[in-house]
Amino acid sequence: MSFTRRNVATRILALTAAAFGLTLASGAHADQLDDITKKGELVVGVLGTDEPNSFIDPQSREIIGYEVDLARAVAQKLGVKLKIKQLAVAARIPELQQGHVDLLAASLTHNKEREAVIDFSLTTFVTGQKVLVKTSSGIKNVADLNGKKVVTIKGGTQEPNIRKAVPNVDVVTFETGPQAFQALQQGKGVAFVNDEVSLLDQHAKLGAAQAQYTILPQNLSVEPLAIGIKKGETALKKVVDATLRDLEKSGDAEKLFYKWYGPNTKLKFPTRSFKINSDKVEA
Amino acid sequence: MPHLDFSLLLHGQYREWLLSGFLFSVALTGLTLLFALPLSLVVALLRLAPSKLAQALGFAWVEGVRSVPLLVHMLFWYFAAPEALPESIKTWLYAHDIEATASLIALTIYTSAYMAEDIRSGLRAVRGGQLQAALALGLSYLGSMRWVILPQAVRVTVPPLISQTLNLWKNTSIATVIGAAELMYQAQRVETASFRGFETFAVVTAAYLGMSLFITALAQLYQWRYPLRVS
Repeated sequence: MSFTRRNVATRILALTAAAFGLTLASGAHADQLDDITKKGELVVGVLGTDEPNSFIDPQSREIIGYEVDLARAVAQKLGVKLKIKQLAVAARIPELQQGHVDLLAASLTHNKEREAVIDFSLTTFVTGQKVLVKTSSGIKNVADLNGKKVVTIKGGTQEPNIRKAVPNVDVVTFETGPQAFQALQQGKGVAFVNDEVSLLDQHAKLGAAQAQYTILPQNLSVEPLAIGIKKGETALKKVVDATLRDLEKSGDAEKLFYKWYGPNTKLKFPTRSFKINSDKVEA
Repeated sequence: MPHLDFSLLLHGQYREWLLSGFLFSVALTGLTLLFALPLSLVVALLRLAPSKLAQALGFAWVEGVRSVPLLVHMLFWYFAAPEALPESIKTWLYAHDIEATASLIALTIYTSAYMAEDIRSGLRAVRGGQLQAALALGLSYLGSMRWVILPQAVRVTVPPLISQTLNLWKNTSIATVIGAAELMYQAQRVETASFRGFETFAVVTAAYLGMSLFITALAQLYQWRYPLRVS
């Protein structure tokens, strides 16, 4: 008796709720890994606005980047086509929960709070969150931001982290990193909070104006980035982790790091300070 | 269905955020109304004025404003327009609540175009003979409007204006893109912090719906209390 009246009612309710665009974990369903193999397509959600993790290549107009390459490796391992879907920061976890994307490779911080709602792969990158200020503002450390207006991105860990570090700070959030940075450049805030990598990238893009901006030395937090997986999809997680482990073992992970972050890139990271080998994070 | 738990949202910090967002949205609606009403009256009078230049100005305002999406208005008044101001005014403005100011300007201009059209059609509903008679009695164009046409037009115009206010109330949600701390902005903040997206947006939907129904009830009440009189 799988088609009881209650079941139908539940489906109608679920459909109605989904139509309203609300976050709703779908009910029991087949294993997601099977679905992906059957479809022949792996849908991966990325930001597309966060160089070099995922961004639009001005020549090809396609989304490329470090995380896109990782996603491609997973698709290759599964023997399916890779489909990239661009998401807003705040939409990442809801889109994954609703099954609109199979994986998130979207500059996603792995933290304890989020472990309650989704699963994470091995850590694929470690960054810190930092603060970019106008040099002329005279702000020398994070504590100077007390009572000041700072700008950042909606829906990420940036806002909670800066509020934790400076309880009496005024935060204004925007849809994307470039928008928030624009607001800082125009002077609508005194500081811009973001992942260190994104800040370095945006700072590098300023060219001659670089001297007008300073990145404060303190880390607001250490942010381990990982691929997001829907809660309970253990078979899919196993494949993703195995792919990442293989990349690490073959040295390809190291190559990818230097391709996107190394000394020949805008970001100029001299060395790689982490290995892809753990899916544990500190509280 | 996932387990729904509203208690988290209805107490403590999250409730405070949602409540401040609601009050901000209400204040934004009220202030916009305050500025948009006189502005739209001016635009409507321009469109009906005898002067061709005035008509063209009114036409350009209405069509220019309502042909551009509200989202674009918001981004323009936040990111682009203030940059043209002199440095000292700009610095002062940016040190204050530029997010609220820009959203107020964008909403006022956007709403004025729609309200002007409602007022214009209300004025046109008063028979042409009335204006001619007023002019023949020696009243000026503005005098005829003030003493003869407008008082009659009010009854026709108020219900559609209330309906525009309903649109305005919902339109305040667009201000989230420029960081104005209205209801949608606070809802996204609560969702990010609590991972309770379903509950958060259910509460917010109820708030929008409740306020909208209240505005609709006002329109009904007005029509019942001041029914249309045919001149």
